[in-house]
Amino acid sequence: MEPRVEAERFTIPMGPQHPALKEPGHFRITVDGEIVTGASVRLGYAHRGLEKAAEARNWIRNQYLFERVCGICSHIHATAYCLGVERLAGVEVPPRAQAIRVLVAELERIHSHLLWLGVAGHEAGFDTLFMYSWRDREAIMDVLEGLTGNRVNYSANVLGGVKCEVDDAQRDAILAALDILEKRTEHYLQVVTSDALFLQRTRGIGVMSRRQAEVLGAVGPTARASGVPRDVRVEAPYAAYDLFPVKLVLDDRGDLEARVVVRMRELLECYRLVREILDHLPPGELRGKMPRRVPEGETVSRVEAPRGELFYFLKSNGSDTPERVHVRTPTVVNLTSVIKLVVGHQLADVPMILAGIDPCFSCNDRLIDVDRNGHASESWTWEQLRSYGVERYHGNRP
Amino acid sequence: MPSPDEVMTIVTQLAESWSWKMETRRSEPNRIDVVLPALKDLLPFVTGLRVQRLGYLSTITGLDPGVESGQLELLYHFSPGPALITLRLRVPREGARVPSLSEIIPSAESAEREVREMFGVEFDGLRNPDRLYLPDDWPAAVFPQRKDYKPNGRPAAGASGPSGAQG
Repeated sequence: MEPRVEAERFTIPMGPQHPALKEPGHFRITVDGEIVTGASVRLGYAHRGLEKAAEARNWIRNQYLFERVCGICSHIHATAYCLGVERLAGVEVPPRAQAIRVLVAELERIHSHLLWLGVAGHEAGFDTLFMYSWRDREAIMDVLEGLTGNRVNYSANVLGGVKCEVDDAQRDAILAALDILEKRTEHYLQVVTSDALFLQRTRGIGVMSRRQAEVLGAVGPTARASGVPRDVRVEAPYAAYDLFPVKLVLDDRGDLEARVVVRMRELLECYRLVREILDHLPPGELRGKMPRRVPEGETVSRVEAPRGELFYFLKSNGSDTPERVHVRTPTVVNLTSVIKLVVGHQLADVPMILAGIDPCFSCNDRLIDVDRNGHASESWTWEQLRSYGVERYHGNRP
Repeated sequence: MPSPDEVMTIVTQLAESWSWKMETRRSEPNRIDVVLPALKDLLPFVTGLRVQRLGYLSTITGLDPGVESGQLELLYHFSPGPALITLRLRVPREGARVPSLSEIIPSAESAEREVREMFGVEFDGLRNPDRLYLPDDWPAAVFPQRKDYKPNGRPAAGASGPSGAQG
């Protein structure tokens, strides 16, 4: 046998368009034949300048800005932001508002995990699973729309509390949706652990040991599927999680199958939690009084997003705008684990391993304005942007 | 998982037993700030936290205290369980070189790449110092998260960044 020479190594670009999900990220994979020998990542294709923009907006407007970091987990971003600002301002949030925040957060986790199940099914070539899980996800989207008025960017939070009340009709609608979803989730749990073709794509693929997960700093279901007991809801309960404790879902196998199973079992835990919150919703006000100016200070707000620990650092200089807001999303740390894990796998497994952490590129990317040809950048006023949008959507109507 | 009070005690003892004075303050009930007096304290202190199993790095926050200070500040946030440890490190605004943590904490790499391109702090020992978020044609030496960068693409007049870099 001839010894392999260095020149036989190829670098394969994956992305920026659609590396695994319909979101942009660029991966450079070096391969030796079909086997991956290295990987690196470039992000920023959806970077929108939110951290910088926040410094020019007041505390109230920023809540709506940070809600738009991510379309999937918008509520948890707003929650992290609100909890931090309220702590800086010394505002007491009524217990009912905190419970409703947790309720919406768990409903959001349900929709996010179901969405992910569909994506994982799609990546594995199991489109039936994708279609069924996304069909079922509509039940929870209807619930969220009924509760808050929106399918995404619900704006359930306001600084000092929440804006939406849960009445009996909504309670019944949520419970009815949960009954359907619980049956479906149990079915999916059985499918993903027994379907031979799906298991070929997940069992023993992308294995991350507990030690590796700890060293690589993995978070969320990705870490818990490797047996790392890391869940902010459990270790540092925020909002109403001290009243409604979460049971940690762990699996110690660390492969893709474990990541699917952990998310499915977390769904079942979400259903239990939502029912418990609805049964024991504390009475009272929905919001406390929030001052316009926030006293000087800094704080850290950590919450458990569907993908793992979400970290907000907030610094106030005593005015009505923040001095600095820094967001660290779960995907950015979990990507480190992907870069290390793919080495030694087949190239064809890379999208599946990437999908396994449930990456959210829009979450990663937060800062940029339009800059053409490296020269003067182009920024649009609100009026320009608005007229562009109006023309685009209404100008062409017959 | 140790309670916040236990973490505070361990970190305070670690800082007190340091060769020179190291300031600590309890900034929030569950959070302790450690002000690192010098660059060379960073790696030994982080290693100390790792040995005590308190070394889960959440992220690194860059702060710009203003052009007149001539400095930038890095906040290393460690969050073992419910407690938070923030190491605060002041570096010069221009030409700062900080040792990279990526050898001992692999996930530090993405945080350091972010601070590098957004604030202009170099990290020694970063294996992949490539840009993470900014586009390829972003001008060199323009650091968008600094306070003297104005979002219309140009640093404010009299900014300390190298001139002529804004195209």
